[in-house]
Amino acid sequence: MRALVTGITGQDGGYLAERLASDGYDVHGLVHDGDPNVEDLRSRCPTVTLHTGDLQDGPSLAVAVGAADPDEIYNLAGISSVAFSWQQPVLTADITALGAARLLDEARLLQERRGREVRFVQASSAEIFGNVGGVQDESTPLAPTSPYGAAKAYAHQLCGLYRSVGVFASSMVLFNHESPRRPPTFVTRKITQTVALIAQGQASELVLGNLDARRDWGWAPDYVDAMVLAARAPQPADFVVATGEAHSVREFALAAFARVGIADGEGRIRVDPSLVRPGDPPVLVGDAARARSVLGWAPTVSFEELVGRMVDADLPIEHRQ
Amino acid sequence: MTRALITGITGQDGLYLAELLLAKGYEVFGLVRGQNNPKYELVRKQVPGVQLLTGDLTDLSSLMRALDTSTPHEVYNLGAISFVAYSWENAHVTTEVTAKGVLNILEATRLFCGSDPGAVRFYQASSSEMFGKVQQVPQSESTLLWPRSPYGVAKVFGHYMTINYRESYGMHASSGILFNHESPRRGPEFVTRKVSMAVARIARGLQETVSMGNLDARRDWGFAGDYVDAMQRMLQQPVADDYVVSTGETHSIRELLDVAFARVGIDDWSKHVELDKRFLRPAEVDLLIGDASKARSVLGWEPTVSFEQLVHMMVDADLADVEAARS
Repeated sequence: MRALVTGITGQDGGYLAERLASDGYDVHGLVHDGDPNVEDLRSRCPTVTLHTGDLQDGPSLAVAVGAADPDEIYNLAGISSVAFSWQQPVLTADITALGAARLLDEARLLQERRGREVRFVQASSAEIFGNVGGVQDESTPLAPTSPYGAAKAYAHQLCGLYRSVGVFASSMVLFNHESPRRPPTFVTRKITQTVALIAQGQASELVLGNLDARRDWGWAPDYVDAMVLAARAPQPADFVVATGEAHSVREFALAAFARVGIADGEGRIRVDPSLVRPGDPPVLVGDAARARSVLGWAPTVSFEELVGRMVDADLPIEHRQ
Repeated sequence: MTRALITGITGQDGLYLAELLLAKGYEVFGLVRGQNNPKYELVRKQVPGVQLLTGDLTDLSSLMRALDTSTPHEVYNLGAISFVAYSWENAHVTTEVTAKGVLNILEATRLFCGSDPGAVRFYQASSSEMFGKVQQVPQSESTLLWPRSPYGVAKVFGHYMTINYRESYGMHASSGILFNHESPRRGPEFVTRKVSMAVARIARGLQETVSMGNLDARRDWGFAGDYVDAMQRMLQQPVADDYVVSTGETHSIRELLDVAFARVGIDDWSKHVELDKRFLRPAEVDLLIGDASKARSVLGWEPTVSFEQLVHMMVDADLADVEAARS
């Protein structure tokens, strides 16, 4: 089996490449020229075949899809930050929305040409639901509140449209999923990195925005497993992927402090109101009942364990629990 | 205070130009593309005085926002996909960025200028790759262009668009036709830096050989620090124009190897160099040698670093890097 993965140098792309390679797949990835994360990917997954291209560049996708001749396509590439999408909304639309359209259309063309199914998995996001809050599932109305969310919503709906014309396209509505490979621009990694520094006496405080925001945080490799299960399912569909548990930013920070043996974590946290995102929903929780029943998927890592793994990875070995 | 906006700030020329303008008392803004661009921190470290903005040459509205934020007097368009060999593999994206990107930044600048089209002075980084299959030796501003790579074709588009915005809208837009210009900041995909890095590593026993393409290719190589000085001078002229910037001397890859290996005390480099056909270009350009007499007479510009000094500077910097990595 052959798979083509876009965004292969990101957090999820790396885990997915390793997973598929260990399943015996011939893994192909799309990368930019000079992507500095390629070395890292190659060290983790030496058998991967890389193609140069860009979701903005339709012909480069045609070349990559033609060369990889994939049975499965995983579209993980895109703008990854809500804040960035406000800085460059047009680029966000071109990459995250139109890029998905370009790739879906290449998948459809390939399927028509060779007469064999191509299975397409889109990495969608809970951001498509916007600020409604509460518990969300596949029937929750889309109401994005950022260019990022709107672009992801477009790609999500396009998957449904392609499904209706015979393309096996599943859209995975992924809630927050973390790992030690998260960049420090994400609040979870910022917390674990800073707490690790505090534990070693190299930092004194943890500066955060809204401590009360509650999020549904899972373990990234579990979410990658859900994508793989969706590609192998009998029917394509939309799937919410989430743990179903919400924890506040405060709980995340306190769990991180507890991991390094600091009982009074609260005393080390300082709130900076400038870090509070306007319109941030108070609670985001996903209901993954469909993924659990149809795909047989379930999260394997608890909240405490997730925080612990991230903190440990940010600590030198002698400091780990 | 004069304000300048530089695209391509993370590249070799962007860094040198930012340093030059800061030293001259400019307020300098730099456009950085992409989210989490790994070069962002490099720019912050090397030229901390620069204010960085997010934008992309393929995204017109991001350019207009950058102009509104920086309100520049001068715009230097150095952003491009700049590697000739890769431009064959990436012809479309090279065209989007290196050709159409020029149109986007010209148009954004024109719109920003409003009723006074000369309000902002514009510099376009053109390239000697536009001469390709050369029609005249040496090449000057009036030599017929005959590009031989998607990169060269894209640069020709940008060059002619710059001239057209100048002639049609009355913009103060100049195109600098820069011949090869190198420095210790050159990317390792360029042949000069590839050689200086390999020579430094060979000298310290970290590698044995380096694979090369056409050893007889000759280029007119100058020092990047000198070339950004020519850019700034162009925008101080009362009337915008096009200028060839070059040393007027050519050297072969073989001579580059001679000087670089001699710097580390290796006179016979033959056992350290392997020929690899993969490094040959689909269509090699002919003798590129620039006639910069217009830049010399009108701008009062001249190169200050010789070929030997340039190669020594690059090998010395890479030796220092190798030493630093060891300690």
